[in-house]
Amino acid sequence: MKRSFRPAWLLLACFLLLAMVPAASAAIRDTSLWWLPEVVTKGGEKIDHLFYLIFWLTFAVFVLTQSVFLYFIVKYRRKRGVSAHYSHGNNRLEIIWTTLPALIFIVLGVYSNRLWNRELRAPAPADSLRIDIVAYQYGWHIRNPGRDGKLGEFSQANLSKDNWFGLADGDADGNDDFQTEGVLTIPVGRNVNIILRSLDVIHAFYVPVFRMYQDTVPGREINWVWFEATKTGNFELACSQLCGSGHYNMKAKINIVTQEEYDKFVAEKSKAALMQKLQKNAAALPPPPVDAPPAAVAAK
Amino acid sequence: MQTLTAPHSVVETEAHGHHDPHHHQSFFRTYIWSHDHKMIAKQYLVCSLFFLLVGGALALGVRYKLAFPDSAVPLLQYLLPSSMVVDGVIQPGMYNMLLTMHATIMVFFVVMPLLVGVFGNYLIPLQIGAPDMAFPFYNALSFWLWVFSGFLMIYSFFVPGGAAAGGWTSYAPLSTTAAYNGTQMGQSLWGIAIFINGLASIAGAANYITTVVNMRAPGMTMFRLPLAVWSLFITSILLLLAIPVLGAAAALLFMDLNMGTHFFAGSNGGDPLLWQHLFWFFGHPEVYILMLPAMGLVSEMMPVFARKPIFGYRAMVYAMAAIGILGFIVWGHHMFVSGMNLTLSAAFSLSTMVIAVPSAIKTFNWLGTVWKGSIRFETPMLFALAFVSMFVIGGLSGIFMASTPVDLFVHHTYFIVAHIHYVLFGGSMFGIFGAIYFWFPKMFGRMMNDTWGKIHFVLMFVFFNLTFFPMHNLGLGGMMRRIADPTQYEHLRPLQPINIFVTISAICLGFSTIPFLINFFYSMYKGPQAPVNPWESNTLEWTLPSPVTLHGNFEKTPTVYNGPYEYSVPGMESDHLPQNMPPKPGARIAAH
Repeated sequence: MKRSFRPAWLLLACFLLLAMVPAASAAIRDTSLWWLPEVVTKGGEKIDHLFYLIFWLTFAVFVLTQSVFLYFIVKYRRKRGVSAHYSHGNNRLEIIWTTLPALIFIVLGVYSNRLWNRELRAPAPADSLRIDIVAYQYGWHIRNPGRDGKLGEFSQANLSKDNWFGLADGDADGNDDFQTEGVLTIPVGRNVNIILRSLDVIHAFYVPVFRMYQDTVPGREINWVWFEATKTGNFELACSQLCGSGHYNMKAKINIVTQEEYDKFVAEKSKAALMQKLQKNAAALPPPPVDAPPAAVAAK
Repeated sequence: MQTLTAPHSVVETEAHGHHDPHHHQSFFRTYIWSHDHKMIAKQYLVCSLFFLLVGGALALGVRYKLAFPDSAVPLLQYLLPSSMVVDGVIQPGMYNMLLTMHATIMVFFVVMPLLVGVFGNYLIPLQIGAPDMAFPFYNALSFWLWVFSGFLMIYSFFVPGGAAAGGWTSYAPLSTTAAYNGTQMGQSLWGIAIFINGLASIAGAANYITTVVNMRAPGMTMFRLPLAVWSLFITSILLLLAIPVLGAAAALLFMDLNMGTHFFAGSNGGDPLLWQHLFWFFGHPEVYILMLPAMGLVSEMMPVFARKPIFGYRAMVYAMAAIGILGFIVWGHHMFVSGMNLTLSAAFSLSTMVIAVPSAIKTFNWLGTVWKGSIRFETPMLFALAFVSMFVIGGLSGIFMASTPVDLFVHHTYFIVAHIHYVLFGGSMFGIFGAIYFWFPKMFGRMMNDTWGKIHFVLMFVFFNLTFFPMHNLGLGGMMRRIADPTQYEHLRPLQPINIFVTISAICLGFSTIPFLINFFYSMYKGPQAPVNPWESNTLEWTLPSPVTLHGNFEKTPTVYNGPYEYSVPGMESDHLPQNMPPKPGARIAAH
């Protein structure tokens, strides 16, 4: 009898150790080192609420089932002269533990999907600031609209490393748009709609502080990523879909700035983009005929 | 269902019985090209354990890189070319190969063959009272196809460019475009190996289904089948329906990669998401293929060591059938954030929530089985109990992902890695280890050492949890899967101590298999002789000598009188009632 007793306690110790881990995790949450990072979007806050709901629900189920299990294991260890109870089961119990979890799961599923459909993945509001991102092996090419607030029209057919956003010649909306490599600058307190595309393979737009993950798919435009940042700061954008040997380091900076700072930033960048475009166009023009008066060129 | 018992199984046994007993066969026919399901099971067992070591070593490579991204792995520089390892430091490309091949090998060459190949082969004929599989030749062919696919998979490390590096999920167009992945040969070999592996699985599955349906001994009705057989039967149906889809996908991948087609390209009419739909249409039933037989094996061990009938036998069967059916309509939950239509995500989220119900039912029934039992704590039981406990954790963490909004955050993080290992290692592998200790006496005729078994269990249980539990925290901290160097990211640098802790635990976990391996191989030759029925179990294999030497299994086809779990029946002297023994008049057997 003693021999069957010892492993039971060993098992108990193992399970207790295990039960401590989530508790320790909960304590560590205050330091936010081993727990969720801060959240800086409105949608992210809603996700966190749901996360905590599921966490406490599963934690309760975990503690309940494991302790009942452990209790049974210790209590019903083999004892001399006591034989096992002969039972093939109990249909009423089966019905209870089928319907109860089913109800909980379905309610949880419906609740989750309402949040998903109505808020997180609803079409972006019309007044959102649209920003284009093209992911490639291995980096992020980002385009903000210029002072006119409009992006030049993207065309899949024109997409290449020389024309990141597939602009057609003479697209006036695109003239003052400006592009950056690996830096996403957005204003705080405003709906931002990120349009995701990929040049080559599938990448993923993953920002833990936004609670946001979305794959970019070559040949597809993903237009349902939108959010409103709630605080300013510098964060990181990571590719979270294995995309090749450079995947581990495919990241970008995210700067969330105030609206004034953003306006100033756009004014500067947009002007620079326009100037650059004019210079490029001027360079591309055929040299003026020698005998033509300079005024003719200016008029053109 | 009750009338399905095959009348001709008797005839077949006799036909076998005429030429098989005492008939000496050559070494080649006995150990290499054997048609005997028991020998094929042992062949699978030894080969799978070899692959387990390979897969484990790859995992340790992955962990080493994550903890110490810039340090050299001792001795590695002498073993591998400079394209993979520079001064002993694993390069990111090599890291991707490691993680890809670790997962591929563990899924297709360790867990699947251990469950379906070893225990499917060994247990189905013995537990249903059949002389062998329905198609013994087919069975041997299936094994050797599997070995060949394993050889190709390992060989792919040594081709130019190295092995496949696109993850075991091999998402297109990374996997289907040589210019993007840089491992055209390795990836092609991966596709070919998966295809051949699929043929082996299909052959095995067809064999198992036929055997279970047609070759049950008289009296072995469907609802007298041991749950292990039920689980393997349902798994075989899943295999038969899911594997062809993977085979087709692998063939298309091969064509995209080598013949210039564009099935999965982002242009020219192809669609990268097509690959994901095909892969996960296979991949999610696959998850249950890796789980159901382990559930069956555990359901087999728990009543024996609790000396009690399994709680809710029929509920267990219906739950497995429900998992089998629902398993085919949840694949989209891998694709909530893939670019798939968002309304579909909601539908898949609901079906995923529903599939958690049968798993909950099974858990409660296991709890019911130990309730009021008389529990013995031999090594197999420790693993079976741990299986239930770990499966609960793995199941609960799955609920986070099933909820679409939370998946937005935890998708592709270490939270997922933690979840999958709790289910596949804490679940399936613990079930497998328990089953090896349990059926070893019958397979090899000798007992494994119980003390060393317990040492193995405790080490594995502790280090398993120390390795995989903190991964939940890593994931919640925002650590992505499949990145070679977490220190590249500012938000991950504070988490690096956890990564180092996990790696040290993982190395200890790797070493915890050593007591098992020594015990296994030592006991095979030097262990004490096993009695016919060391655990006092009811199922038919325990009525045969240990080891079962007869090709044809039963001298005389057994007749089955009872369900498989009649333990501690009131009014009986013995606390177990073998399935082939008619109950004494005083026994008060209840219907289940």
